[in-house]
Order: sequence, then C-alpha cells, then structure tokens
Amino acid sequence: MKRLLQRFFDGRRPHFTPGGRLARLHPFFDAMETVFFAPAHTTRIGPHVRDSLDVKRFMTLVIVCLLPHLFFGIYNVGYQSLTATGRPPQFLAACLVGLGAVVPMVIVTYVVGFFWEVLFAAVRRHTISEGLFVSCMLFPLTLPPTTPLWQVALGISFGIVIGKEVFGGTGRNFLNPALTGRAFLFFAYPVQMSGDAVWTYMGGRAAVDGFSGATPLALAAAVESPATIQAVLHEAHYDFWTLFLGRYAGSIGATSTLLCLLGAVALILMGIASYRTIIGGILGILATAALLNLFAGPGASPWLELNPLYHLVMGGAAFGLAYMATDPVSSPDMEAARWIYGFLIGVLTVLIRVFNPAFPEGIMLAILFMNVFAPLLDHFVIQARLKRRMIRT
Amino acid sequence: MQRVEVRKGYTLNLSGAPTTDLDVLPRPRRVAMLPETLPFIKPRLSIREAQPVALGGGLFHDKRHPQVRFLSPGGGIVERIEYGPRRVIRRIVIRLDDTETADTFEAFAEGRLRQIEPRRLVAAICRGGLWPLLRALPFRDYPDPQSEPTTIIVALADDEPFQPDPAVYLAGRRDLLDYGLQVLARLTPQVRVVAPEGNPALLRDLGTRITHTVSGSYPAQDPAVWVYHTRRSAADNRAWFIRGQDLLLIAGLLRDGRYPTERIVAVGGPAAGRRRHVATRLGVPLELLAGGALDASVRCIVGGVLRGFTGPADGYLGFFETALNLLPAGDRREFLAFVRPGYRHPSFSRTFLSAFNRRRLSMDCRLHGELRPCVACNACVQVCPVEILPQLTFKSLLAEDFEEALAHGLLDCAECGLCSYVCPAKIEICDHLTRAKRRYHQEQSAA
Repeated sequence: MKRLLQRFFDGRRPHFTPGGRLARLHPFFDAMETVFFAPAHTTRIGPHVRDSLDVKRFMTLVIVCLLPHLFFGIYNVGYQSLTATGRPPQFLAACLVGLGAVVPMVIVTYVVGFFWEVLFAAVRRHTISEGLFVSCMLFPLTLPPTTPLWQVALGISFGIVIGKEVFGGTGRNFLNPALTGRAFLFFAYPVQMSGDAVWTYMGGRAAVDGFSGATPLALAAAVESPATIQAVLHEAHYDFWTLFLGRYAGSIGATSTLLCLLGAVALILMGIASYRTIIGGILGILATAALLNLFAGPGASPWLELNPLYHLVMGGAAFGLAYMATDPVSSPDMEAARWIYGFLIGVLTVLIRVFNPAFPEGIMLAILFMNVFAPLLDHFVIQARLKRRMIRT
Repeated sequence: MQRVEVRKGYTLNLSGAPTTDLDVLPRPRRVAMLPETLPFIKPRLSIREAQPVALGGGLFHDKRHPQVRFLSPGGGIVERIEYGPRRVIRRIVIRLDDTETADTFEAFAEGRLRQIEPRRLVAAICRGGLWPLLRALPFRDYPDPQSEPTTIIVALADDEPFQPDPAVYLAGRRDLLDYGLQVLARLTPQVRVVAPEGNPALLRDLGTRITHTVSGSYPAQDPAVWVYHTRRSAADNRAWFIRGQDLLLIAGLLRDGRYPTERIVAVGGPAAGRRRHVATRLGVPLELLAGGALDASVRCIVGGVLRGFTGPADGYLGFFETALNLLPAGDRREFLAFVRPGYRHPSFSRTFLSAFNRRRLSMDCRLHGELRPCVACNACVQVCPVEILPQLTFKSLLAEDFEEALAHGLLDCAECGLCSYVCPAKIEICDHLTRAKRRYHQEQSAA
C-alpha cells in the first residue's frame, strides 16, 4: 500500500514540477502528496531539531473533534425527517436518510472550497494551508439541512474568497471564514436560512399533521408573557436534557451540547483551543442571562426570566464557542485579551437573542463582531504589557 | 547566595546525553581556527599559507579593534587557508609538528594580582588572544577593551543539550577557577557566579564562590535570561559574561604565561557512538571527537542542538564551541505522519501520545512539516524565557517596524532557539530575531 502510493506519486511528480505540463498546479499535487507522506525537509539553520507538531496535525485534530458532530448530525437529520413525515425513526433508516441529506452538502463544500484554495495557491505560488479543511468541515455543520446545494457552494465560496483569500489566505484573515460564508447566506437568502420550515429535511414528503418544525429558539422568541419559555419548550418536548443531548431540529451539526462539551475538553487538553475563550464565553452567557433575570417580571419579555443554563444548550451557542470562537487566527493573540473576547461573545449572544426579534440566534453575529474587535483588544493588552516592560528595564 | 527562578522555557526531551566519563583523546595531527564562526569580527590575516607558526602565534586580528588578536591553537605549518563565498575566511588549518614551539606571555603570580592595574590585565588578555571569550550583552559581541563593565557574569553551566557538565571540567581545576575569579574581580567589583540549582554536588563543592543559583528549564542558565530576571537598571542590560570553561583558559594564560589550549568537550546526541566527555584541545578535527569517520546519515552539530552550527564531516571545533552533538540526518519521508498517535514523537504540545511518555526520545533534523503562515497558536509565547512575544516581534520585523520590535524586547532575546523549535508553522522566528539584532548592532557600531 505504502509502496504503491509512493510509486504513484513519484510517477506523477514530473508533471507538476517546473517544466511539467501541470506545473502551475503544484500546490494541488503537494497537498495530495503530503496527506500521505510528510515531506523530508530538514533544518537548514539552527535550531537543528524541531517539534513534531505541524499545522497539518494541528488542523486535523480539530477535524477529528468535529467528526462526532458530523455523524450525530447525519443521524439527527434523518431522525427528525422520519418523525416529521410520520415514519418510524429507526436508527439505520435515520442514518440513511441523513446521509442522503448531509453528504452532498459536505462534498459540495469540500470540492468548491478546495477549488478556490488551489486556484489562489496556484496564482500566488503558495502551498495549500490546512485551515481550509477545518473551514470546510465547520461550514456545512452550521447550515439547515434543507439548504440547496447551489447555496452551499455560494456560501463557502464567499467564506473562502472574501473571508480569507482576499486578505492573503489562512493566517491573515480577520474573520472566521466558515462563519463569514454562513452570515452571507443568512443575509442573502433569509428564506432558506431562517423560519420554521428549513430545519427539518423532508425529502419531498409531506409532514404529519400538527408538525410545526419550529426550533427551540424560534419557539422561545414567539412566547408571549405571561407564559414562560421553559413551559412552552416543555410542552413542545424540548426539556433541558433533550436540548443538552441535541436530538432536535436545528443546524446539521450544532445541536448537541454534549458533543460540543466533549470536543471542547479534548481541544483544550491538547492545547489547540484556548480555554480562556471558551470559559470566558460560558461566563459571559451565564452572567448576562443571570443579570437579565433580575429585570424579569410581569409584562416584561419572557426571555428575561429564562434560566441562564438554557442559553447554553439552545441553538448554536455551544458549537460556536467550542469551534468558531476558538479559531486562533481570528481571535486575539494575547491571552488576557482572549478572556475578554470570549466573555463579550457570550454577552452579545444573549443580548441579540433577548433584545433583537429579527435574529433568533446571536452566536454567529457575536463571533463575527468580536472577530472585528480582536485587534483592538490585542492593542490594549499589548500596550499595557509594553508599559510594564518599560518599567522593568 | 541568591535564588532566581525562571518560569518559562522548555527542556528538550532528547536522548543521548553524554556520561560524566572523561576520556583523554590522542594528539591530533591538525588543528584549525574558524574565523567564519566568530560573530561580528572582521579578520585581517597576519600569516600566509605554508608559513610556520608557533603555538600562540598571531593568525589574525579584528579590524574593528586591532589589539584584539586571535592566536594559533597549535605549533606547526599553516597548511591551508580556505575561503567561502565573498572571500569570507572559512578556516585556517595548521599541521602540527612534533616539537610545537610555543610563544610565551607575561605571567602574573596569584599573590601579585591585587596590585596590578586592570588596564594591564586587559592588555595581557588581548595580547594572549583570549579577549573575545568575554562577551557583552545584549549582542554577544566581545566588549570593547577600552570600556569598563558594570557586571561580569560567570555562567558555570550551559543547559542546552548537550554541553559539558561543570563538575567534569572543574574537577581538579578549582585553583584555576579561583585565580580567574580574582582576575575578573580586578575588572569590576560586581562579579556574579551563576550555577544551576539542580546540581547540589557542584554547589557544595564551590560553596561561597557561587553568588546566584538559577532554577528552571532551558535556557535558564543563559546570562541573558539571568539578566532579564534580576536587572535593576538599564546598565545591567550591558553586562559582560563569560562561560566557566572560558574563564579557566584566561586564568591559565595569565597564571602560567602560555597560550592555553585545554578543552573539555561533551560528545553526545542520539547518533553518537560513545557519549562522553573528552579532554582535548582547541580546534581539533570533528572526526577525532566522534571517534571515527562521519557519514552523510549523521549531522555533526558543533555546539548544542539548538544554537550550534553544522560542521562538515572533515570539520573542526570552533574557538567558542565545547560540544559535538550527532543527530540522525533524518532525510526520509514519514507515512501518514499527521495522524500517528506518536508515542515516540517528542513535542512541546500535547497533541501526541508522547505527552505520556517519560522516556527520553531520539530526534532527527527533519522540520516535521512545511512552512505555513503563522496560525497564532501562541506556543512561542509560552516558551520564551524572556517574555518577548516572538510571534508579534517577528511580524513587526517583517513589516520593517523595528521600533515596535524593540518595544517588545527584541534586545532581551537570549537567542535560545525555542521559538523556532516549537513553531508548528515551521517559521524561523529565532533567525528573524537574531538577524535583526545583529544588523542593529552592526549599524550602531558603524555610526
């Protein structure tokens, strides 16, 4: 196997090296080859030894943490589809339906995203950076399962090109590319991105009587005083543990808070995600929601009295905090700034949910908004640090 | 005795540490001087090929300070002067003859030392060709012989993998160390002798001679790190330093009036056959140190594995270097490297199973990846012993904002190489920083 692959790549290499017919596509060849064989480059200048970790592994481990979300998402999309259309939600059947709905979206995302990356890498004569594969994994997981494939292609194109490539590629972007694409679709095609009809994949069948399709966030936004959100959610069979485990209609991969928690713990233990951002975000959500609890009362919005823990398990807050907010490139560099950054993402998420009826979910805009402010946070922390350093010398 | 604790840094989990055995090597047939490896100097030769030269005879001086001379590490014939690109003098090879005539220098009896003017001592060290063993922070150039130091730091240990153990090179030479310390005390009242806290035998042995102990991971024993953690004024940033073994050379020169060539060299690294300390002399051939011929599957690193330079198989030990480390060259491609569990893949991060592996691991010279843009993983910030923000500093240097790099503390950089070591994007951060520092020094001294 190994030798066969080696021979295959060695045979194709001449075409992609200078003078070959496909020399411009060398980044593509390089990306394919280095998946299987780490390059043998050795150090030319000191230090003579280098750490075994590279960006490829760094990014691959994020993808590995996202795979459970993909698998659960496939099952959950199928499960929701079967129950909505009145069929028995057996495990295998659910997985098959889910595969049919989700896999084309994932494939389209990867093909289109990879196309843009290869194009820009070939023009710039750069190598292909592995951040792309993470963005392409994240993007479909944040979409409703009914998104048309052409919109998937358009969204990832916008995310990769405008969110990343125009600024110079991975490492130089200031917005999270996957979220940029998601936000583009949200504003450009609100019909396919919001409302009650988009969150459950029907596969061309009619829904059973009484099916609403409303997500917990949409239900919550529609609650009128004096009813409480928790009571309405309970009535719709969205109790806390259902929301925590994630078997409800929503974005493909973002519904399970449990998986987000496991993924976040794994990323923190491996030192890939910043625990400062994640814990800051959780604190931000809990603190803001608890503060709003103080203003709850008759006549006030029912959102104000919602148990703060519900904010964590509803919608995409947990997914965003674990995987999107922690993108190291678009978050601040300074560790102190990451606390503030995470905390403000949490605050904004709750504020958008509670006070802006136009947007049921706030995490996407909160993260993009704080991405823009990350350099400013860095600036203040760095200035404070430099001042301390001046005093020391 | 004061304690200094260095919190940041990282000790490489590298196998192949030399034992404390000391072997005496046979006399080499040739020795060499490598002007190319001496930072900043502009050599002017005073010998020609095929000319006889005595042990301690002048080979060249530095055009910047003509009184700073470099002397021959052996007596015999100048066999070859090799040049590199742009006529840089790569090496001067001397074929030793059997008798080895030696030049003599002024000797100072220990009891007389207190009455001697510091300026006379400085002149004697310059004439004896050992002045460049003293170095001045922050640039690590040798200090101007006309200037006066505020502080001189004697760094007994070097914790880079792998350098000689102070207990080995000091064994039986404590009187020489005392003499050297007295010489330094004539140059400045503030002599700081720094030793690692984790070496109780050495601390007991040297007792009150040691003024400071330092604990912490590599490069805690580096003088620049020590200065960063203890400085009180701006003048401390320009402290001089000398390594323990180099101080013994200066002491030998002044006490005995002859050019000293004794070197204790550590031979280590995963690819080394016999890892040990050897007693030999300045400028010996690497093959002699390695104990056999060297082939292309092994990289010879003259100095430690982080700061040393690559020696050719037929190379020689440099003037400053006291170690030879041999690593597998590692010119091979690893299959599916990025998804391996990696129980034997050493890493600063916790992304390999090696995080649970306590054993020392072999390393080779592979980059383990390709150059990528910085992904702001902050690993370099976590290891930097002097708390500059390497990822922001190198970016400001690439953007040619030198002022900002200085504000970040570029000049505090200990040039330890850890930032380059940990970088998953394989960016040569340390090289960017070091080169900027050197350029700054050259521009300053030209002005």
